[in-house]
Formats: sequence, C-alpha cells, structure tokens
Amino acid sequence: MSSAITVRDLTKRFDKVHALTDGRLTVERGEIHALLGANGCGKSTLSKIVAGAYAPTSGTVLIDGKEVSFRSPRDAEEMGIALFYQELSLIPKMSVEANIFLRREPRNGVGFIDYAKMRTETLNLLAMFKDAIGDDIQPDALVADLTPGQRQIVEICKVYAKNPSIVIMDEATAALDGRQVKVFFDILRKKREEGVSTIFISHRLDEVFEICDHATIMRNGAVVAETAIAETTTEDVVHMMVGDVKKAPKRQALDDEGKKPLLKLEGVGSNLLNDVSLSVAPGEIVGLGGLQGQGQSTLLRSLFGALPITSGTVWLNNEQVAIRKPADAVRRKVAYVSGDRGPDAALPGRSIFENLAAAILVSEKRKLVRAKELRPQLAEVASAFKTKYARMTDAIGTLSGGNQQKIFIARWLATNPKVILLDDPTKGIDLAAKADLFALIRKLAESGVAVLLYSSEESELLDNCDRIAVFNDGAVVTELSGAEMDSFHLTRAAYGEA
Amino acid sequence: MKSILSAPKSGSTVSKRPVWLVAFGSLVALVLINWFLQPSFFDGMVMHSNLTTFLPLTLVAIGQTFVIMGGDIDLSVGSIAALVNVVTVTVIAMAGGDAASVPIGLLTGLVVGVLCGVFNGLLISYLRLQPMVATFGTGIIFSALALWVMPQAGLSVPEVYWMTYSDFVLGVPTVLWILIAGFLFVLFMQRRPFESHLKAVGGNRAGAFQSGINMSFVRLLSFALCGLFSGFAALCLTGETASGDPLIGQSLAMGSISAVVLGGTMLSGGVGGAIGSIFGALLLGMIGNVIFFAGLPFEFQTLVQGLIVLAALAGGVLVARK
Repeated sequence: MSSAITVRDLTKRFDKVHALTDGRLTVERGEIHALLGANGCGKSTLSKIVAGAYAPTSGTVLIDGKEVSFRSPRDAEEMGIALFYQELSLIPKMSVEANIFLRREPRNGVGFIDYAKMRTETLNLLAMFKDAIGDDIQPDALVADLTPGQRQIVEICKVYAKNPSIVIMDEATAALDGRQVKVFFDILRKKREEGVSTIFISHRLDEVFEICDHATIMRNGAVVAETAIAETTTEDVVHMMVGDVKKAPKRQALDDEGKKPLLKLEGVGSNLLNDVSLSVAPGEIVGLGGLQGQGQSTLLRSLFGALPITSGTVWLNNEQVAIRKPADAVRRKVAYVSGDRGPDAALPGRSIFENLAAAILVSEKRKLVRAKELRPQLAEVASAFKTKYARMTDAIGTLSGGNQQKIFIARWLATNPKVILLDDPTKGIDLAAKADLFALIRKLAESGVAVLLYSSEESELLDNCDRIAVFNDGAVVTELSGAEMDSFHLTRAAYGEA
Repeated sequence: MKSILSAPKSGSTVSKRPVWLVAFGSLVALVLINWFLQPSFFDGMVMHSNLTTFLPLTLVAIGQTFVIMGGDIDLSVGSIAALVNVVTVTVIAMAGGDAASVPIGLLTGLVVGVLCGVFNGLLISYLRLQPMVATFGTGIIFSALALWVMPQAGLSVPEVYWMTYSDFVLGVPTVLWILIAGFLFVLFMQRRPFESHLKAVGGNRAGAFQSGINMSFVRLLSFALCGLFSGFAALCLTGETASGDPLIGQSLAMGSISAVVLGGTMLSGGVGGAIGSIFGALLLGMIGNVIFFAGLPFEFQTLVQGLIVLAALAGGVLVARK
C-alpha cells in the first residue's frame, strides 16, 4: 500500500529567495505527522505546496501513490486534502453554519440551500467538541460574535466538514484552552483510527510529543531528519532544529549604575498577552524571541498605546504610567518602529521631510510647521545614519526599503526618545542596511536609551541583545542571558520548553 | 491566557432581527403620514400611479444590492437604463413598429443591459479596476452610446406596449405584477448559494478565496444581474413615457445606492439583502410624496428630501452598528 503523502526533492523559490531547498515528506495513512522547525525553516511553504496554495518550483508530490500537480487549493480539496488556515478563512459577518459549508452548501432538488440539512450537519460537527464547549456555539450565531477559541473550533469543523482523508493542521491549537485541546486531540486520534492522515504543526513541543507518531524536522529550507516520536526526545528534536549551536558574542556587563530599570512591566496582560513582566535598563537592548506571532509585536504595540493593556502595570522612569494612545507614548518619549513600513510608518507619496517631521510635530505639540527651522535639525539626524537621499523634498517612495527604514528611525531620533520599541525592524531590508541599522541601535543604547527589540531572525537577537525574553502563547516562557544565550536554548524555549 | 481567550461568552445572544426592519418601519410611518396628508392615498388610482413612479428605482435597487453585497458599487446603472431605453425603442421601430416587434425590442434591450453589466464586471473583477472609477467611466460611455443611438428624445412605442404596462392583468395592475415578480426573484436568490458566496466575497475576500469560491466569476455575475435589472427598469420607464430619451434615468445611480443603504445593506459589502432595498426604494419615493403633500414650498423640497435621506441613513447605520 502506498503512503498517503510522498514528497520528493521539493523546492520553492520566491524571486531570489529559496524558501525550500530540499523538501521531503512521507506520511502514512492514519498517521499524525509533526512538521517541526524554527521561523522561516520552510515548514509553512512545504505544507502550503501539499495543500495546493503554492506551486512548487521543482519536485514531485504523490498523493496515494499518484503524482499530482495542484493549480489551486480547490484541486487539492478534490483529492481529499483540507488545510486548517492559521489566519482563519471565516467570514465574520456570516453565521457559523454558513461558514462551515461555504461553497459546499447542501442543496435540495431545486438548487436551494437545504437549511435543515445544513443545521443538522453543523450540529453533528459541533457535537465533536461537546465535552469542551457544551452547546456554547449556536449554528446561527455570527462568527464575529464568537471568542477566538470558538472561531478556531468553527474553522476545525469547516476542515472536517469536507470529509478529508488528509488534513493539515497549521497551528490549529493556538487559541484553544486546555480542555479544548484535549477534546481536539481525541478527535485527531479518532480520525487517525478512521485512516485520516494529519500533518500537525504546533508551537508547543509537548503537544507534538503527546499526539504525533512521526516527525519531520526542517532547518533553513531543508529537511534534516525524519524520526518516530517514540524513539526521540525533546532535547534531540531541538538539537536537530537548531543544528550548530550559535552562541551570542560576549558582551561586557552593564555597570551597576545602569541597572536601574527605565522601563518596567509587571504582569502586563490583554486578550493576547498573559502576565508579561520585563525590565529594561538605560543602555540595555532586550530581545523578544520565540516563534512568530506569540505576542511579541502585540506587546510592543501595546506599550506604544496602539493596542489595549487590560491588566498589570507599566513603569517608566519609576513612574507608573497609563499609555492609552500613541500620542501618550510619543509625549513620554517612547518610540515605535515597525517592520511593516508601508501600513505602519510611511506617509506614502509625501516628502522625506514630512516623513521625518511626523513624530516631532506630535511630541512638541507644534501647531505650525516651520520648515526652515526644522529642516537643518532633521537633516542632521538623517545624515547621522548614512541615509542616502537626494533632496528632502523627494517623495519617500523614491528610497529603497533600507533607506526608508532609516528615515523612520531618524523620525524618532529627532524626538530624543528614552525608550525605543523595534518591531521586526529589518523586514525586507538588505544586509548592508541591516548592519547600519544595528550599528545605530547599539549606538543609541550606549547613549542611554532603553531598547526592546523583536526580530523574527534569531541571529539578530543573539548578535545584538543583552538579554532575550522568549515568548510562547502571549507569555514569557523564560529569559535568557549570559551562557544560556544561544540558538539551542532560544529554540527550545520558543517551543514552550522552559 | 488561553482560558481568557475562550471564556464562555456565548455566541447565542445574536439578535435575529432582519436588516431591513428599520426601512420597513420607516416606510410604514411615511405611508401613515402620507395617508393623513392625502386621504385618497389608498385609492386604487393613486396607489397605481405611485407604484408606477417608484417601480424603476425599485428594480435598479434590487440589482445594485447584489453588486454592493459583493463589496463593489455600480455608478453606471442610470446610463445603462438610458441605453436600454433608446435601444429598445429604436429596435421596435426598425422591426416594424407593430405589436409583433415589441418582444424583439424588449429582448434586445435586456441583452444590452446584461452586456453592459458584463462589461463592467470584466473590467472590475478580471482587470481589477476600482469599481467606483470604472463604472463612472463606463457610465459615460453608455451615455455616449445612448446619444449616438438616439441623439434626441423621440420615437413612440406601439400602443400595446404602454397600454399593457399601465393596465391590469387578471385584475391586478401590471406594475404590481412586476413588483411581485421582483420580490419572488429576491426570495429565490436568498435561498440559492450564490448570494451566500457573494456575501462571503464582500465580507472577507481572503476567506472567500481560501474557501475555494471563484471570486472573479461571482463578482462578474453580480454586475451582470445589476445590468439586467437596470434593463428591466428601463423597460418600465419606456412603458411609462412611451418613447425613447437618451437622458432618462440620470438620478438612478445615486437613488439606487441610497435605497440599498436605507434597506440595511452595508456599503462595505458582506451584509444585507435585496428585500431591504425594495423597502428602501419605496421609502425614497414616499419621502418625495410626503414633502409634496405637506405643501412645502418647491424651493425647499430637495433640501428637505436630502436631510431626510441623511437622517434615515444615519439611523440605519446606528442600528446596524449595534
């Protein structure tokens, strides 16, 4: 009998970036198979190719022994492959049942939607979760009115409504609570007995060891190991994910006078953050590590007042502060630089000068823009960074990504910030510009600024941070410093193993 | 934190109130006011004439609803109506101008309406042009075509056409039959998966795509439906005026969009339904009536009409937001 999925020599290139260089995968019928790896290792790319969302650059995919080449997710769906969408594919303003059966509505003889049948089948699907949710989810409730956990359950029901023989569960447990995860695992085991194959991707290693039979481990776009879960340990798996352990360069400890924290968080929580406590001294660069989307960006945005904080306290300079909107943060000399320059930072189509002046206008509560007065001041900060531009009046779009990002950091330097929040600031920036940016960030820290840095690339964290707080599920799993600052500990903590 | 995320907040408390309730309530209120100001309101003749006046906008509003539910907008409906009107009248005249040529004219007119809608849909869903700008442009083109077909208002249609339209069939006014047919069509569409897919496309494009919906085709179809209903409206206008006029229907675009929004469909797409738009269109017509019978000086009528529409829109939005 042939395997449910066999993938050989799979590669995928996005422009010049090799997202996948050696994709291999064998999943048997009735097996739960884990796909493991650090950020950007290619596990999402591999699973999206199997699900028909991406076309491979080269290589073969066999489903039940037959070679396939999907042109769309719909092709894959017809072969019985269903993908759980991490970002959820639900329509908020539609009912639970309409969402579950979207495009596959049961119909009666005249082509009308068979609402009665849809209701019964929806109730049957929801009944799988009865032990975890009772009848909290009504089939006719709007998805927009559900909690994140309930939405995730609806998305899972949508996957199983297709009666798939192969299921890809990409972070399907992210918003579920303990009881819901337990019920979900029971469903996975039941489906396994029915012969359904599951590819399981999770940011929690303990879940992988609880539910999975085999694991494929990836690193830098290639599969490095395939192993039975029963024959391995979490330590081994983390070692395989990491490869050669990269150590952080030695840094001299801060002197005692600098140890007084400038920014201190105590038990900060919100709907996406859980009890985060941190402190950053002047001159310190504290990194936020972990897999993507575990609350790092949320924390930075919350500290900047762009997202709400519902519990805990924030201390700035020994003073308890409430930052409710970004303008509060700016006036308290807190700066925020996002990697998503387009939506978060750029004033598109406006001049470099206007883009540079945006923050100082808020922080100084200026009513009038005196260009003559501001220009030399802003030109000075911009040149401090080796920003290459022709004239201050040129549109921001004429600059490269790296130079734009320098402008957006320079924007904040003009306000003399005390705290800088960096949210994956090097996204889409070339290597030379990255080096410039980090040189500048370190110089800022030396001048006494407190820096919180989130980066999706662990080498950036290891190279530049004094300490790293590792996030999992909106909480800090552990704080790494000194001898523990290496890629092994970072990856292990990212998977929730403190 | 997981327990915070999934705290037992039940989703079962959703109100099942239909979106068109506000429009319907306002409509009833205006009917009562109108009745008070014009005691003959419920006379057959008056009702018949009112319905004849309101029908074209009602039909266009039905078509416009589908486009708006999909997250798009069609500003060219008035021009489509004008083009269909002159094409129908011209074709009937060319085919001999007798009773037998009427069906040929009607059919040609409707085909032209659908083609206009398909053209809009191709530009927007396949060439990815912005719907507002694209239909503004195509609207000018359709108007120009209408002027090219018939530079000046004129040509009359055979008696049988406008007689049938203004008369009774089986004891019921033709215009009421058309309204009933429109209602039935809307109810029919409500039960078909298409409307659900369209709302998905308007509500969350990424989610609709991931659910395997052929988005471009669904949007194209919504524009084609809108063209078809603009065509129906044009045929009604032709029955009412009994002649061709390349400048007819100019207020239909904004009128139909107002009617759709008054009826509870969200301009951003994804929420609503054509039942509300029917009530919305009738409501718009009643507003005009009430202002007229209230004896307001002519100069203020447009101003007051604008204010009432604005108030109704604001009210509808406030209710929908809850």
